[in-house]
Amino acid sequence: MNDPDFEMEARLRDLAARSSTPPPPPEMADLPWSVQRTEPRTEVRRFLPAFRNAAGGAGRGVFTLARLGATLAIAGSLLIVLGQVRGGNANTGTNVILPPPTTRPTSAAGGGPEVVVLPTSGVVDDVMASYIHGGIQRAVSDHASAVIVQLDTLGGSLTSMTDIVTDLNASIPTIVWVGPAGAKAASAGTFITMSANLAYMAPSTNIGAASPVAAGGGDIATQFGQTEADKVLQDAEASMRGYAQAHHPQAVDWAVSTVSSARSYSAEEALAAHGINGLASSLDDVLAQADGQVVTINGAQVTVHTKGASLVTVNEDAIQLVLHTLDDPNIAFILLVIGVLCVLVEFFHPTLLVGLFGALSLALSFYGAGNLPLNVLGVLLVVLGIGMLAVEPVVPSHGLLTVGGVVCFIVGAVAFYGSPGPYLPKVSVAWPIILTSAGLASLYGLVFVRTVLQIRNRPIPVGTGMVGTVVLVGKVGEVRQDLSPVGSIYVAQEAWTAKLEGSGRAARGSLVRVVRQEGLTLIVQPLESDR
Amino acid sequence: MFAKEAYLQAEPIHSAARPAAARDQAYDLEFADAIAGELTMAYRLAGYILADAAEAQDAVQEASVRSWRGWPNLRDRDKFHSWFSQILVNVCRTRLRQRSRHRALDIDEVDVVSGDPFRAALARDTIGRALSVLSPELRIVVVLRYWGELSLAEIADRLRIPVGTVKSRHHAALQALRRRIEPAEGGIR
Repeated sequence: MNDPDFEMEARLRDLAARSSTPPPPPEMADLPWSVQRTEPRTEVRRFLPAFRNAAGGAGRGVFTLARLGATLAIAGSLLIVLGQVRGGNANTGTNVILPPPTTRPTSAAGGGPEVVVLPTSGVVDDVMASYIHGGIQRAVSDHASAVIVQLDTLGGSLTSMTDIVTDLNASIPTIVWVGPAGAKAASAGTFITMSANLAYMAPSTNIGAASPVAAGGGDIATQFGQTEADKVLQDAEASMRGYAQAHHPQAVDWAVSTVSSARSYSAEEALAAHGINGLASSLDDVLAQADGQVVTINGAQVTVHTKGASLVTVNEDAIQLVLHTLDDPNIAFILLVIGVLCVLVEFFHPTLLVGLFGALSLALSFYGAGNLPLNVLGVLLVVLGIGMLAVEPVVPSHGLLTVGGVVCFIVGAVAFYGSPGPYLPKVSVAWPIILTSAGLASLYGLVFVRTVLQIRNRPIPVGTGMVGTVVLVGKVGEVRQDLSPVGSIYVAQEAWTAKLEGSGRAARGSLVRVVRQEGLTLIVQPLESDR
Repeated sequence: MFAKEAYLQAEPIHSAARPAAARDQAYDLEFADAIAGELTMAYRLAGYILADAAEAQDAVQEASVRSWRGWPNLRDRDKFHSWFSQILVNVCRTRLRQRSRHRALDIDEVDVVSGDPFRAALARDTIGRALSVLSPELRIVVVLRYWGELSLAEIADRLRIPVGTVKSRHHAALQALRRRIEPAEGGIR
């Protein structure tokens, strides 16, 4: 037997038996369960809820997955609808959008010749292709004497361009007019101009630069290798040679030079090289000059009759207009930024609606960017930049992430569009838009995310029903440190800094009553009845 | 600190305004029943382990919240008592360690008149005052043994450690207490 141990045991047992247990304070038993039901999310790792939930609690995981699925499904079906609309291939005849009925001017009632005008602008895309396809079909069925495509473009996608070129090879004479003054027929536009039966340009317009690839290898070369670049270039040259041979046989070398050496020409230079049929400052001018020209259609010689013809303009309908607007390089960029921001908002502050809107924006952005020379690196930099801005409040980096994020964002935005190739337009995001959206993105990171986190970090209310300043007023506490007049008291199971109201002192051990609270200091009165 | 700020910043809780699902309510009622029987003992153990009523209250609340969160996952409801005291001991241990990092908490005779019932009870006896020399692990074993009136095997179950370890800690605690007390009481004998 261990005697001393036994003695200690006895003493401890005795002390424990004598030490009473105070009754638990009532508020201890009354925990606010309903508040605690949702876990407070204050830590960084909780910000990957999708993964955690999927791995952890089955119910929430399923819910998150279902929500993710719903979002993806809606975004996907939207993409499918868009794909249907852009209908893509105008030559398969399955385009969903039909051009509106021709508006016949009353003067045409006399039976005079009629010329359909198709004004275009912006990027050469499937919308433009289906619009031109529909317009030409309408003109053919209306027995118009010619179709004029009024062109102003920086270029666009190869497939759409091919569709348009095929359509221009119609059973009625087709005329491309690059106008009005200031218009361009660049990249894919050059091919379209050269493939029409007749080509006219307004003064002060440009044609050419159908390839930015320098002789020593340019952007395409760095991306796909020299062989691939040569292949693309040679293919483009061959197409151009073919179009020029068919419609402007005197200007074959000139036309090829727009591709091989990326030359750009003014209207006057193009006319001097016989690349176009003439200078026309207006549509009426085009009608006057085209009249009497002999063109080859399906192997047969046809004389164009446009003198005194009435012009019938067929415009893009509303849906085409909206879809065509998405191709704008600035709009595609803005949509991407909005989309990424909204998806991030969804992460930090789940509401479903914002996430859906973000997915929608992203889908529209990618739809538009399909016809633009998107630079993957630029897109990644923009997304990375926004991501860095968003995690700045979560991961303390003393502003380093903000600076890095803004720099990433701006560099990415500048490099958002890359090497065009022979057909795609050479575009970039406008500086005011870059700076504005960079400002907005940093505002989002610095204000929105921070605010959400602050709200989330607020302490959970504890205690019964009403808690707050009123609870302590009127309670009696015991002085722990002499109040002279400031000291500390013990009240409601806590030590508080206290100040005696008025002058005087209160010694340790004396009782005081809480009168009011000023910040973290209690104002107290000595309890007269005591002692 | 936390509780104080919570008092200041908290907003009124309108529990009625948050309709919980019927299943949740059933859970809560069941849980409330289960924990009601634990609170007094839990408060006593936490109070004597921590020697501070306010901290003990916080610890019991923290343990309650933790056990409430784990409640749906507790398969065997009969083991609630043992499970809950495990959680409570863990919470107390964490608090003891955090506190020992900041300050040593000695109990002296003056504490008899302090407002804290646990401190006062410990301060009445030399051996109670001596408890403050024990490390958190030893202190927990002693309080569970004498204030909780648990056998060494039960303590081993609560702490999830082998019985041998409990025995050696118990012995070490008694020796430490004796070393502390003997110089003080040597003159009296």
